[in-house]
Amino acid sequence: MDVEEMLETYFERINEIPNSDKFIQCIQCGTCGGSCPYGMGTLFTPRRMILAVRAGIVDEVLQSGAQWLCTSCFTCSLRCPSQIPITDAVIPALRELSLLEGNPPEELAAALMNITRYGNSFRESPRKRDRWIKEVDFEVPLISKKKKAEYLFITECFGAYHRRCKEITKAFAKLMDLLGTDYAILGNEERCIGDLVRLCGEFGLFEDLAEKNIRVFEKYEFSKIVTHDAHAYNALLREYPRFGFKKEVVHHTQFLYNNLEKLKEMFGKLDYTVTYHDSCYVGRRNGIYEEPRAVIKAIPGVKFVEMKRIKENALCCGGGGGGVWLDSFIKDHIKERPAESRVKEAASVGADVLVTACTLDVPMFEDALKVTGLEGQLEVKDISEIILEAIENS
Amino acid sequence: MLRIGVYICHCGRNIADKIDVKEVVEFAKSLDGVVVARDYKYMCSDPGQDLIVKDIKEYGLNRIVVAACSPNLHERTFRNACKRAGLNPFLFYMANIRELDAWVTEDRKKATEKAKRFVRAVVNRVKLQKELEVGKTKINPNVLIIGGGIAGISAALTLADAGVHVYLVEKSPSIGGNMAKFDKTFPTLDCSACILTPKMTSVKAHPNITLLTYSEVESIEGYVGNFHVKVGRLPRYVREDKCTGCYQCIEDCLYTEPIFPSEFDEGIGKRKPIHIPFPQAVPLVPQIDGNLCMWLSSRKCPRYCMEVCEPKAIDFKMKYETFEFDVGAIIVATGYKPFDPSKIPQYGYGIYDNVYTSLQIERMLSSTGPTGGEVLLKDGRKPKRVAIIHCVGSRDENYNRYCSKVCCMYSIKLAHLIKERSGAEVFNFYIDIRAAGKAYEEFYRRVLSEGVYFVRGRVAYVTDIPENEKEEKEVEKGRLIVVVEDTLLGKIRRIPVDMVVLSVGLEPSDGAEQIKRVLKLSCSADGWFAERHPKLAPVSTNTEGIFIAGCAQGPKDIPETVAQAQAAAGEVLSLIQRGEIELEPSIAYVDKEKCSGCGVCVPLCPFNAISLKMDENGKLRSEINPALCQGCGTCVAACPSKAINQNLFSREEILAEIEGLIKD
Ligand SMILES: Cc1cc2nc3c(=O)[nH]c(=O)nc-3n(C[C@H](O)[C@H](O)[C@H](O)COP(=O)(O)OP(=O)(O)OC[C@H]3O[C@@H](n4cnc5c(N)ncnc54)[C@H](O)[C@@H]3O)c2cc1C
Ligand code: SF4
Ligand code: SF4
Repeated sequence: MDVEEMLETYFERINEIPNSDKFIQCIQCGTCGGSCPYGMGTLFTPRRMILAVRAGIVDEVLQSGAQWLCTSCFTCSLRCPSQIPITDAVIPALRELSLLEGNPPEELAAALMNITRYGNSFRESPRKRDRWIKEVDFEVPLISKKKKAEYLFITECFGAYHRRCKEITKAFAKLMDLLGTDYAILGNEERCIGDLVRLCGEFGLFEDLAEKNIRVFEKYEFSKIVTHDAHAYNALLREYPRFGFKKEVVHHTQFLYNNLEKLKEMFGKLDYTVTYHDSCYVGRRNGIYEEPRAVIKAIPGVKFVEMKRIKENALCCGGGGGGVWLDSFIKDHIKERPAESRVKEAASVGADVLVTACTLDVPMFEDALKVTGLEGQLEVKDISEIILEAIENS
Repeated sequence: MLRIGVYICHCGRNIADKIDVKEVVEFAKSLDGVVVARDYKYMCSDPGQDLIVKDIKEYGLNRIVVAACSPNLHERTFRNACKRAGLNPFLFYMANIRELDAWVTEDRKKATEKAKRFVRAVVNRVKLQKELEVGKTKINPNVLIIGGGIAGISAALTLADAGVHVYLVEKSPSIGGNMAKFDKTFPTLDCSACILTPKMTSVKAHPNITLLTYSEVESIEGYVGNFHVKVGRLPRYVREDKCTGCYQCIEDCLYTEPIFPSEFDEGIGKRKPIHIPFPQAVPLVPQIDGNLCMWLSSRKCPRYCMEVCEPKAIDFKMKYETFEFDVGAIIVATGYKPFDPSKIPQYGYGIYDNVYTSLQIERMLSSTGPTGGEVLLKDGRKPKRVAIIHCVGSRDENYNRYCSKVCCMYSIKLAHLIKERSGAEVFNFYIDIRAAGKAYEEFYRRVLSEGVYFVRGRVAYVTDIPENEKEEKEVEKGRLIVVVEDTLLGKIRRIPVDMVVLSVGLEPSDGAEQIKRVLKLSCSADGWFAERHPKLAPVSTNTEGIFIAGCAQGPKDIPETVAQAQAAAGEVLSLIQRGEIELEPSIAYVDKEKCSGCGVCVPLCPFNAISLKMDENGKLRSEINPALCQGCGTCVAACPSKAINQNLFSREEILAEIEGLIKD
């Protein structure tokens, strides 16, 4: 593509995204650049990306690779005084150009390819998606058998295939089992929900996934979706309605909070000092701050401490926006990855356990524990894991 | 016999560009009853008006239609033209073919077609219009001013000097408003107290001013020229008529040390339960905080204050008092409050000790403030590096969209004063420097040349989490790190500072909300009182007899505030000098035969003009006070018995108009 075509493609895409009319209202204040966990590492901050696109030098931005450093943490978008959808539009549309030009970072290109072929980024067979249910000591109902359930539980790719994240899926399923929740899973009919695909600029693939997923949803009778995957939650809540999906979507932190009275009756004691990490797509993007805190604080014996960067100001784990697929690319550009700074902070406030509520966080932070040498001192757990532990301790 | 004249205005090219005026004239001529139809370049000009006057006389016209701009602009002009020609002005009506047609219709053909329909509609309705008479009412020459900041004070003095009696109602214990908190004022750096205090004392001493502090307006009824006001005064437990302001009671209070945060000092200074907000307060009378006073809260105090007060001014039996009086006009000058920066968590206000609001720094700088004029950190040290963050809560779609207008200038002033008092290096972080005003740019230059740094970038966040060893050392010294994209340099900068000053924007004061309700005034979306016209009626409101001045209308500096206050005083004088006012006759009236007394209309009237009254036969009937009715038509549409009608907007007139619009 020549620059003219690139710009045309860019604006065509931008114009499809809600609020992107604000794009031309950028006042060049730099809030975005200063807020970005990667602002230090890149020449083109979101501010300069906007400026460059408007100056017609979009090719220079693409060459810098800056578009691939965004982890979609949403900090810039939340703080932007012009409410420009930087995370949802400005950056993904640049990434789309980069994809069309055929030069995305390798890891990422592979992940996208896998999703297209297998419906998951792990290059795993779709038939193995429900393997995890054979690894638990209770029965996990399939909606194809049950036909009707109150909650449809979406595990999403990480929750279904990733060695560590699978444990979170099991823990949450167990909690629903203990609570007697009327739920079911899609099993092998489930496919990538695609929020990261969207944020990576593969809009075509995202649309395709959304349409296919909705067709599957329509086969069954259920009233709500519940998921422990923050990105699946975000896409189902904010993006899927555009494709005709209109059901209620509940994040597992909200689900646990709604069942807190019942859970309290089952709790035993835990002797931990716990801190909570607000994941970008639970907290900052979707405003769920208090529910997870209330649930953790309700566990007898737990001492709850806050880190400094909390709620709106929480630091990103670095996994979102395709960050999990960009690790080596990002490593070349910055000194310390945010996940490393985050676990240090958790340790510095005296926590034994860092609780999160987004599947991506757990492997990101566990990696960071190794790099920082905090392994053994600090543990990382999803909220459903610590709740289950509290119950099993009774 | 109906003899109608129709006049189509070109409005220069405003109308003529989009509408084929000649075609509309020809069309008008074809309408039943139309005797003359003409077009003219500017109907509102003298020759344009003369056309109408001449035609009325020459052709014996008895109905006039002008198709031009909005009646808001020129209805009065053309009514007067009719009057000059001896025609009752209510036999005239306007068709708006500019705002409703030429300005909003792309296609010339369609616009012309629309104009024809508008003209036909109005020709239809004027045929049914009747002669109406303008009523008159006397104007009470007294004036109420709400809010005793520099706006209220200036307006009060201007009016009182002209011999008008003013009631000045101030919510807080002293007048002076926000200006009383400053040490110096930009751009001239004159001492705020030196220029304000003499004005405050003149208010107190003026024979034409009744000052009611610690008081709020409870209710206002009536209409232009005749408002009935109720004001409530909170008990301060010290009698203003007896107190000499000697401070003895404060010294001998059971609390030997001041330990409660002082409101006037923005929480950084301390006060006792009995206190005077600041030494220049007017009235210079202490007040006792009922929640903190040991006697008032638990009767556990020997009441030392009472013992030591020689003039016996302390009176624990004081109660809430109400005052009632009548006025002819009202000026609202309720000012502003600073934006609450704890809503922006990344700036660390309320989290880090040394993050302050600009108003807190103003208090520090004041020689009678909590630090005696020194700029100090929480631990008492002088800061070596200070960051001033502009636009906090302003120019931000997440908080307030508007520019607060004064923050750039006061931030430059604070930079100068902080540097002068503490010798610190000062960094101002700005998006744009807005220094438009007489001698403002010069002041900016002066402060630049004093070596203050100006960094172009909106601060992203303030933190005490170091990123490297060098920063670790800074943080150990108690410093905070200001993170900003220096947009001119194209670099992210992390600047360690001892103190952060947040240049908070301005928001409508808490008191404004209540006044808005009591007076039913309209506000902009941001909550500032709306002026009648942004250019031509900047201190009037949509309610006759009520004016606005100062920051109540929107953020502005002191010179502009005072200019508005004096303008409002001028408008008030012009009103009360008239002695009586004319009442618009296009008001609603009740047909007592049809009214069932259901009362639906009563709560709907936005001007409280309707009441239910017993008639001679003992039946409830609604009654409209003609002086209060503003002719909005709400009740007319709501009445289920069709018992309410409105002059100039009768059912027949409106139906005729609609017919003219939709007929093929
Ligand atoms: C930090 C800072 C520094 C500034 N420095 C300067 C400067 O150097 N030079 C300059 O020109 N401008 C400066 N300004 C702007 C200046 O403060 C305003 O222009 C000015 O104070 C406006 O006066 P006002 O009377 O309209 O409002 P205010 O000063 O806010 O006064 C309003 C008064 O109305 C009272 N009130 C409110 N509601 C009610 C009610 N319902 N009933 C009765 N009373 C009520 C309030 O208690 C208050 O006393 C500064 C502003 C800030 C925030
Ligand atoms: S924060 Fe928003 S307005 Fe400011 S430079 Fe970035 S995109 Fe533009
Ligand atoms: S979303 Fe986060 S990572 Fe991406 S540009 Fe904005 S601040 Fe940077």
